[in-house]
Amino acid sequence: MRRVALIRFVLLVAAIVVLPFCVRPVVASEICIFAIAAMALNLIFGYTGMLSFGQATFFGLAAYTAGLMMIHWHAPLLAVLAAGTLVGGVAAALIGYVCIQRVGTYFIMLTFGFNQMLYFIAYKWTAVTGGDDGLPGIPRPPFAVGPLSISLDSSLRYYGFVAVSFLLAFYAMKRIVDSPLGVIFRAIRENPGRAAAVGYDVKRYKWLAFTIAGAFTGGAGVLYSMMFGIVPLESISWIISGDIVFMVLIGGIGNLYGPLLGAAAFKWLSEAISVVWERWPLILGVALVLVVLFLRGGLVEAFTRVRDIVAGGGPRPEPDEPVSVPDAAESQARP
Amino acid sequence: MSADTILRTDGLTCDFGALRAVNHVSLDVKGGTLHSVIGPNGSGKTTLFNLICGEVRPSAGRVYFEGREVTGRAPHDLPHLGLARCFQRTNVFPKLSVYENVWAAVFARRTPGVLGCVRRAGEFSDVDADARRVLADVGLAARSEARAETLSHGQQRALEVAVALASSPRLLLLDEPTQGLAPEATVQMTKLVQSLVGRYTILLIEHKMRIVMSISDRISVMAFGEVIAEGTPDEVRDNRDVQRAYLGARR
Repeated sequence: MRRVALIRFVLLVAAIVVLPFCVRPVVASEICIFAIAAMALNLIFGYTGMLSFGQATFFGLAAYTAGLMMIHWHAPLLAVLAAGTLVGGVAAALIGYVCIQRVGTYFIMLTFGFNQMLYFIAYKWTAVTGGDDGLPGIPRPPFAVGPLSISLDSSLRYYGFVAVSFLLAFYAMKRIVDSPLGVIFRAIRENPGRAAAVGYDVKRYKWLAFTIAGAFTGGAGVLYSMMFGIVPLESISWIISGDIVFMVLIGGIGNLYGPLLGAAAFKWLSEAISVVWERWPLILGVALVLVVLFLRGGLVEAFTRVRDIVAGGGPRPEPDEPVSVPDAAESQARP
Repeated sequence: MSADTILRTDGLTCDFGALRAVNHVSLDVKGGTLHSVIGPNGSGKTTLFNLICGEVRPSAGRVYFEGREVTGRAPHDLPHLGLARCFQRTNVFPKLSVYENVWAAVFARRTPGVLGCVRRAGEFSDVDADARRVLADVGLAARSEARAETLSHGQQRALEVAVALASSPRLLLLDEPTQGLAPEATVQMTKLVQSLVGRYTILLIEHKMRIVMSISDRISVMAFGEVIAEGTPDEVRDNRDVQRAYLGARR
């Protein structure tokens, strides 16, 4: 099991190294940034069973925080990243505490409602956020530790920083889902009533999952703010929230690698197709419908199906499982 | 309350709107015994369990476990106090493996603190050992890697019991463990329950009279939300009220 996990991780690193040479480095950065946000949503949606339609709240809040810190205080890179992650986590703790009091559709609507609320604050509070025009003029500080200082001015260098941040986030996320928390979260997803009956305070763990996800999403928002030197109003809008849900669904929920594939497919498609055809979101819509109807495990499931057919074993007996795909099942609670 | 009482309910009452589902039920379950609750469908047995386990708040009355009042405690507190239950309808984690189902329940009783989650789930060797022991106990060791939903109904019922045993309770509440089982599986389950007698204090809801009469130390009979009789199996068998509740009033 450990060996399989190691091979997967090596493949992931290889993909990350090759990525900026397959697509423009800017797109590669975007893929990594949204992959972080998507794997954060996957923790609450895929693992814990709560669909948040308000992840842009934490993405945007952190992006604005980072932007303001850099514009007004010329704050250094790592301090900004830490602050944004903290802001994402604290905001998620506050908002999440209210949201997790309800389940299902009501939970979704609460996350959406908070998202809308903060969006309108950002929209109206032009003195601070720039409103509709976004928050421009954000510098990109160098990566500096002690005497070492690396400029991140070129988009390839910035990609390097984003990619390393992504790999660290991925490793942290993997350790979270491999820890007892992973089992507890999935148990809550499967059957919250029974999880309580065996002794877990379900609300507390949901709150924890939501908070962790908010912190990761905040980190992603900080990286996003430095991409183009501007925080667009869109970064806190429901469109981003929707995009993140989209990526997780397309990639495959409840699996560590699904959201990464989803983010890559989403961003790559939008880059490649939007040049050819400006109504490209239509294609994504079709893709989502197809995934939900025929491939609920997303790209990861498509991958395993193809692999099984190539291996000659034919399709697996239960191809219709949206969650607990091999990686999720294998790495938990196994020595 | 006598010294060896482990669970006592005192005038436990539950109203659902105008319906009184449980009416002034006072039970006294002695440590180390198997105490059964029987009664026709709809007589309030499962509601009684829900009241004891905090799933439903009683309208009146109190629950004491090991001398401590636990009325209205949240369901997730009770396993930590030493009380675990099985559900009437199989209620496990369908997409988790059999092993993980039990692992989660064993782990719930540990309090490793925040730092505990820095470790991988597989690194808790004591939890692993306990989970494997419980699985062997209920005869599911060979299926531990299977996803719970792929088990047969009988095996799922056994897993249901295993999940409850995993929290090493001092009182085990079993709600119709043989429910919906084929005759052969019923025999298996009965053997399993029998193997628990003496090792655990058990409060059992069961419909199959032969089983109840053969393994119970004491039986409480419920009808229309009330306990209408209580005693040893022989006493209950000969009780007029019990016969009437089951067979209908004789003209």
